[in-house]
Amino acid sequence: MPSLVEFLQSIVNGVGVGLIYGLVGIGFCVIYNASGIVNFAQGVFVMLGGMVCETLLSQLGIPLIVAVVLTIPLVAISGIVMELAIVRPMMHRGATLFAIILATLAAQIMIERITLLTFGDRPRTYHEFTTGGPLKIGDVAIGYQLFWILGCGALLVLLLWLFFTRTRTGRALRACSQNREAAQLLGIPVARMMLIAFALSAALGAIAGILVTPTQYTAYNVGTPFGVNGFIAAIIGGFGRAGGALAGGLLLGVLQALAIVALGAGFKNVAALSFLLVVLLFFPNGLFAGFGKSAKAH
Amino acid sequence: MTSHVTTSIEPTGIRWQSILPIVAVLALAAVGFVSSDYIVTVLGFAFIYAIFCTGLNFFMGYTGQASFGQSAFAAIGGYGSAILCTDYGWEPLLALFATMVLSGVAAVLVGYPTLRLRGHYLAMATFALGLIVYEITIEWTALTQGYMGYSGVPPLGVAGFTLDTLKQQLVVLVVISLIGVGIAARLRQSRFGRALASIAGSESAARALGVDIARYKLIAFVIAALYASAAGSLFAHFVGFISPEVYGTTMVIQSFAMLYLGGIGTMWGPMIGAIIVSILPETMRGLKEMQDIAYTAVLILILIFAPRGLAGLSVLFRRTRVRVLEKA
Repeated sequence: MPSLVEFLQSIVNGVGVGLIYGLVGIGFCVIYNASGIVNFAQGVFVMLGGMVCETLLSQLGIPLIVAVVLTIPLVAISGIVMELAIVRPMMHRGATLFAIILATLAAQIMIERITLLTFGDRPRTYHEFTTGGPLKIGDVAIGYQLFWILGCGALLVLLLWLFFTRTRTGRALRACSQNREAAQLLGIPVARMMLIAFALSAALGAIAGILVTPTQYTAYNVGTPFGVNGFIAAIIGGFGRAGGALAGGLLLGVLQALAIVALGAGFKNVAALSFLLVVLLFFPNGLFAGFGKSAKAH
Repeated sequence: MTSHVTTSIEPTGIRWQSILPIVAVLALAAVGFVSSDYIVTVLGFAFIYAIFCTGLNFFMGYTGQASFGQSAFAAIGGYGSAILCTDYGWEPLLALFATMVLSGVAAVLVGYPTLRLRGHYLAMATFALGLIVYEITIEWTALTQGYMGYSGVPPLGVAGFTLDTLKQQLVVLVVISLIGVGIAARLRQSRFGRALASIAGSESAARALGVDIARYKLIAFVIAALYASAAGSLFAHFVGFISPEVYGTTMVIQSFAMLYLGGIGTMWGPMIGAIIVSILPETMRGLKEMQDIAYTAVLILILIFAPRGLAGLSVLFRRTRVRVLEKA
């Protein structure tokens, strides 16, 4: 039986990693809303964020803030390339849904292999943004990086909310998610919106990668777990809703951390994937949507 | 199968289109038979993958569904055969069938709830299945020996007679893969196969015609799992060594590249694709490092520019009647 300290500690860890899952989940939603497709390569942006930032920081010795400012647009460009080179031509040719999903999965593996060939398979990491710590509350240790993750996560959610409600582009994106054809008729450049969605989604993944790398490590193959967990977060939150994805990510992160305490670290992915199947089978509209619906019915 | 009510889509009589692929496969096998062991190995992989893809084609091509986790059943077959033959001294053939039964049961248990899902959800759920089994093969070291893998798996054989040389094994693999294609061809032209095609066309139309959609999807899924399991077992016996990486994401991508290159939903497409995708990297030795990149690049290009694959070209040689039927 795990002690109370272990229990609290795992919840703290779970909140941190869960927020990252939430950000990846939002990335899924942004693309899905704009284009109606699920980008299976979402996790690769997290990996690229960590790898590029590490290269700029440790190999080239660029200061952290500059490295971050450079990394985000670089990864966003990879998202734009993916849209232009793969998704757009397929949609133009009326490819089936499964074919597009498969192409994004293939793109993920291609990017992973290219990363492996250029950067090698050595796991990399860099120091936390603020040195020192961890903060001790009783016996529970909280690394300073967790506060960075929490702070940046909250700031991002606020910025996204402002973007989607206050700016013309954000509103146009929301219009696309409701009805792409109607949006087109209203003069919204749907094709450009998809480009923006991919760039935004990749940038979100990159930020998640930059934030999480100091707490663990990054390597060419860390993308898939982040991608799958982000997808689970998005589904728990009822696919397509950013707030839901964030809440889903937190829930998943905590569950996973508890699973590590109960089952050991090896099976944490098995636990998360099994949880995904349970959610898919029993709550296909998300955990929160179920409550919302029943509330409406009464 | 109710074969007596089977009505053939193809015109009766033997036509050169249906004989040509068999001749080509046998010719290729003959070329392999007089070549070095290295080429025999490459061809062996090709035919093992042909079996895997022929099964996958059932579920994806004929039925129009998607499974991104078929490697899970190959892993059950491979590890099952390896463990039963190495640790418990089973007959390879017996282990092959036993693991096929196990995979079939697993496919029913997993497929029954999962196949209700559609679109992205089905894709992600099946992808998760593949990843779960992959993680288990790594983490459950007591059973699978983890990253170390299982070595010393005996070659195929029956009742004391074992296929000691690679060439003997190649012959058996060719025969098994041809039988696999033959069974697929028979099933495809049966009432069952037409029911699958109707599901691929339109689920609501199929339901209106009285097709029990859930049941047929599940059967197609189980058939695909049986083929995958057999391919996994054959791989273990052919190479003599398996590790988690054998049945990882690369297997999924590689089999999709084969399926789409050869032509998804066609009878010979999976085998043609499997042979080409297996041989191509060998002709360009410098490509070894870039193999996965090449697979993914080929796959993406096909998906964009030629989603019907090479077998789609054979339509050019056919009479219009068949073409209309194929579209339906």
